[in-house]
Amino acid sequence: MMLAHVIRKFNLLILTLLVLSILSFMLVYLFPGDPLVNLTGLEDIDQETYQRLTVLHGFDKSYFHQYWYYIRGLFDGEWGLSFSSGLPLANEIAQTLPASIELSAYALILSLLIGVPLGFVAGFQHHKTTDYGLLTASVVAYSMPIFWLSLILILVFSLQLGWLPLSGRISLLFDIPHHTGFILIDIFFSDLSYKGAAAKSAFYHLIMPTASLTIVTAAIIFRLTRRSVIEVMSSTYVQAAYTRGLSGFQVVMRHGVRNALVPIIPLFGMQFAVLLTNAMIVEVVFSWPGIGSWLIQAINQRDYPAIRAGMLAVSTLVIMLTVATDLLAKLINPAQMGTAHAES
Amino acid sequence: MPNLDLYQEEFHPSPLVHTWLEFRKSHIAVLGLWLLAFFIVLVILGPLIAPFDPLLQNPNAFLVQPAWDASGSIRYLFGTDSLGRDLLSRLIYGCRMTLGISLLLVVISMLIGIALGAIAGMTRGVRSSVLNHLLDSLMAVPTLLIAIVIVGILGIGLVNSMWAICLALVPQVVHNTREVVRAEMQKEYVLASKLDGAKKFHLFFYCVLPNMYEMLVVQGTMALSIAILDISALGFLGLGAQPPSPELGVMLSEGLREAYKSPWLIALPGSAIFLMVLAVNVVGDGLRSALRNRLQN
Repeated sequence: MMLAHVIRKFNLLILTLLVLSILSFMLVYLFPGDPLVNLTGLEDIDQETYQRLTVLHGFDKSYFHQYWYYIRGLFDGEWGLSFSSGLPLANEIAQTLPASIELSAYALILSLLIGVPLGFVAGFQHHKTTDYGLLTASVVAYSMPIFWLSLILILVFSLQLGWLPLSGRISLLFDIPHHTGFILIDIFFSDLSYKGAAAKSAFYHLIMPTASLTIVTAAIIFRLTRRSVIEVMSSTYVQAAYTRGLSGFQVVMRHGVRNALVPIIPLFGMQFAVLLTNAMIVEVVFSWPGIGSWLIQAINQRDYPAIRAGMLAVSTLVIMLTVATDLLAKLINPAQMGTAHAES
Repeated sequence: MPNLDLYQEEFHPSPLVHTWLEFRKSHIAVLGLWLLAFFIVLVILGPLIAPFDPLLQNPNAFLVQPAWDASGSIRYLFGTDSLGRDLLSRLIYGCRMTLGISLLLVVISMLIGIALGAIAGMTRGVRSSVLNHLLDSLMAVPTLLIAIVIVGILGIGLVNSMWAICLALVPQVVHNTREVVRAEMQKEYVLASKLDGAKKFHLFFYCVLPNMYEMLVVQGTMALSIAILDISALGFLGLGAQPPSPELGVMLSEGLREAYKSPWLIALPGSAIFLMVLAVNVVGDGLRSALRNRLQN
């Protein structure tokens, strides 16, 4: 049963990725300009090279052949060159994507650590002052445009108080060798003499972007948790547990926590996609060298190869994460699997 | 008027009135509604209220501080920006532009979404299955990301970003409509109409749709808050509306350069977006809990 489900999800994943790759291939033709230039990113090429590239990418054959060569190129890491920097896109994405994932991951962990416990507190105190206070705070946090929130943090903590650095990922004085792309991990495993100072600088640079992402995401997670807890605590089996003479604490531990968490775990997974999008905006504000600021710069400069590759990378990541969290949720709560089968 | 209860008459409110009565019990929700009404009045009457033209540059008044500052003047209530444009007028026009466009987008995407959702909910078979799977995978992707992707393909500009957000909003509306239509179609009153010989068109417009209005309003408020945030975010990132148009996100990114000298250029447009989204969210939350209370009683 589980295996069948995994296979089904895997099929869906492959199918979606196939559609995405076809779409990104179509972009080569949809963008203005010569398709071959859009594909390779090589501008100003002479006739001879052009002929060579035409054969190399199968542009003298059918669309199907071209697509086949395109896919092969994707797997070989030949994603073309960027118009603006002239560097291979695969390398640029390999450098920027981990920075975004790092930022989003820290923010997600922090939001879960803040949002879930507060959600439980508010859910158990339903219709009391604590609940109303937390709910108001969450509505405020959730209505905040994230770019404005980041700007306010910069105005207060960088410009007025001067506590935290304005932008970037680490002070330019440090030169961290690029291995995994996750800066804290890279620093940790490097053998530099100034490890401590570099880690401190990286940490200070992380605080504000993470904080602005966390505030918005924690509010959403808080609301999801609170609603789920309220529904569980008003259900009949919880009332039955009370009538059996269990204390409030026992009811919560035995029936409340697990039943409230199980239905919302897949929703937490979906938050990662939202988080990644918000991270793209925050990156622009803080000049964080992630995929978001890179992609938006590419859109502004009409760097077509970069737009195509960047979108493929981001959407692949989002789809894979969605499927992965979906599977994880089904593993935790096999009851959902049955209904999914019955529906289809 | 005192509410005299002379006759022991039983009061049976219609569902809509009932929802309104429940909604009115929450003072915060009513406050949110007033705030939203204020913004909508600004959208309609903006040009009559604004003291200056939003694009009018006064070369004698660059970066004037707001009126409450010692160096400010009452002529410019909220001060001026780096080109000498009156911030109050720009804010009013900005609300008009941001909220007006968002409202338009929400209405269009709701119409498309409801139509598609009704088709998806009332049909069975391969067609609806394909549509559903496609939509469900799109549901997981945030609207702003879809919008950025579409803007990347179409190119930068206000109209393109409007198309992008409109298309990005549709999947969620379709999904929710489909779920509600499916649930309603199972109910017995629909079956009764079916036995009376009602066609699908009739079933949808006379049986299912009247039971969806409230859900649609809730859905609309959610879509509206997303649309406001997205359109101003795209403006801020330089992908949507372009300067010098008075869009709130664009104003924020323009104000960035002078943020150090006059923080009001950032604080005020940002608060306007924040208040708009807050009002919409509060009204949406109020409506949702009013609906929940009505259905529980």
